[in-house]
Amino acid sequence: MLEHGGNLRDAAREYGRPLADWIDLSTGINPHGYPVPASSASAWHRLPESNPALTAAACAYYHAPAMLPVAGTQAAIQALPRLRAPSCVVVAAPSYAEHAHHWDQHGHSLRHVPYAQLANAVDSCDVLVVCNPNNPTGAHIAPEVLLDWANRLAQRGGWLVVDEAFGDTQAQAGLGPHAGQPGLIVLRSVGKFFGLAGLRLGFVAAHPELLSKLADMLGPWTVSGPAQQVALAALTDARWQDAMRLRLRDEGERLRQLLASHGIASGGCALFQWWPEEDAEAFWRHMAQQGIWVRLFRHAAYGIRLGLPPNEDAWLQLEQALTTWKHL
Amino acid sequence: MLSGLSLPMLAGLMTAGVLLDLLLGETRRWHPLVGFGRLASALERLLNRDSRRFLPGALAWSLAVLPISYAAYWLCGLAGAALHVFLLYLCLGLRSLRDHNQPIADALAMDDLDNARLLTARIVSRDTANADAASLAKASTESLLENGNDAVFGTLFWFAVAGGPGAVLFRLANTLDAMWGYRNERYDWFGCCAARIDDLLNYLPARLTALSYVVMGKTMADKKRAWQCWRSQAPSWNSPNAGPVMASGAGALGLALGGDAIYDGELERRPPLGAGRPAEARDIDRAWRLVAETAVLWLIWVALLAGLYYLRGKYLA
Repeated sequence: MLEHGGNLRDAAREYGRPLADWIDLSTGINPHGYPVPASSASAWHRLPESNPALTAAACAYYHAPAMLPVAGTQAAIQALPRLRAPSCVVVAAPSYAEHAHHWDQHGHSLRHVPYAQLANAVDSCDVLVVCNPNNPTGAHIAPEVLLDWANRLAQRGGWLVVDEAFGDTQAQAGLGPHAGQPGLIVLRSVGKFFGLAGLRLGFVAAHPELLSKLADMLGPWTVSGPAQQVALAALTDARWQDAMRLRLRDEGERLRQLLASHGIASGGCALFQWWPEEDAEAFWRHMAQQGIWVRLFRHAAYGIRLGLPPNEDAWLQLEQALTTWKHL
Repeated sequence: MLSGLSLPMLAGLMTAGVLLDLLLGETRRWHPLVGFGRLASALERLLNRDSRRFLPGALAWSLAVLPISYAAYWLCGLAGAALHVFLLYLCLGLRSLRDHNQPIADALAMDDLDNARLLTARIVSRDTANADAASLAKASTESLLENGNDAVFGTLFWFAVAGGPGAVLFRLANTLDAMWGYRNERYDWFGCCAARIDDLLNYLPARLTALSYVVMGKTMADKKRAWQCWRSQAPSWNSPNAGPVMASGAGALGLALGGDAIYDGELERRPPLGAGRPAEARDIDRAWRLVAETAVLWLIWVALLAGLYYLRGKYLA
């Protein structure tokens, strides 16, 4: 299994500090999660057949013509490579590591291409996988550029897979509205923006034919009844979404400023900041000793990623930890 | 000074005007700026018609502002000090800043979001229908800092320069900027004159205000932050005078203001102002206090100048 953020139990074991005494900044998940409504009894007792109201709510929220709910985009990331004959696949680097890992496991020939040089790789592959904005660097590609790539790939029967897991707080719209065209596959995550990572729910927007193949592969009852109910409430709550979008953009900017005031030039999006820290392992250890669990990238994106602190105390603790780091 | 008032006299009249404003607040029944707004709207409908609209805009500005300012000047010649004070009282809005913003803080403190949204919508132009408590507190605090400049410091500055008529001219020009100074099809050319004149009239007062907010920072760290925010953030703000005032004020209060907001359903990207934690309901009162205490600081400065002037007179005599 690949290493991910959010592994607070590892931290607790390694540093002998109880789970409750950690500030977990190791993910890019919204710390102010959607207030989950109580689940009805039927959500638990009945088989969770697919609910057209949930799909409609997702299509409206993501502005996509057709979508399929999946048990986290992880389910789609694992299934998509199995829907194609062996192909030439390009995955942006650095990137969310699960993409490359799963394309690699299903007989495809895989190439890693630096995010900034993807344009040169479009015509020499069948499948291009890119996170927009990128995790963890926050780099971003304009929608019209991606659409052009999607068209060029589609002409050869290729795919453009765009993972918009962190797209909800972006000023620019996602590619959802165009996902009805063949060859464009857009992944959206409910876990990040809504702070509902435990729900295990994501959506895939793509051509209906591909969606039905994907649905067949994933099988029935993929999304639990309670998850369907919570997601329906969250996706239709425009008031919460509007206020949260602004709040997260403010907090993301606050995090960037806080780092900048400690001499760290970071990039990212509203939900996280990342920078290529020279001595990332020492930084990671220093933070852990202060009870702050950050994400250390040891390989492609060598550096540190920080999520948003959940409250003022945590902001203060982070600021103090950054101050002592500077004076080491 | 242009008004012919001596410095000691000016200091006394300014203090009287501020006290009158704090005591009485806005006139309840017939606010002169409302009447002026109607006049300005009528002029705009009459003159904002064809495509070459810069000169009509300048003409409308002159017709709206100059006769009233001249009348104020003429009347001051007849009625003297009392009228200077009365005009300053009409132009000042220190008390009304609190009257409009304190209810927002109260509604937020009682978790009455719906009411807070309605009250905030009356004083800012951004969308508040879906706003949460933090963004309402932010909107109100930003409005207090920015309007502290227009309704208090710009007015006091021009009163110091030209007495009651100066305050009147500034306030009318400022109102026209608020009505016509928009970057859209209808106002881009017509409102250009009003916007540039307001930029000009506010240039010095805004910088004096920003400097005062630095001075009024409670601790050295607050002062330093206010100064740094002013220098680094103001240039990227879209208004040349609101930028220094709001960045310095937000820095002095240790708040993170600015940032993106929704106007007419569209996300507008705004640079950050200030630094620190997000605004809360209690910061609305802190912001008003900053404006009020800065007004007192200005009165003290003028009184000190007047004292020096008086002593110099004694020395020369």
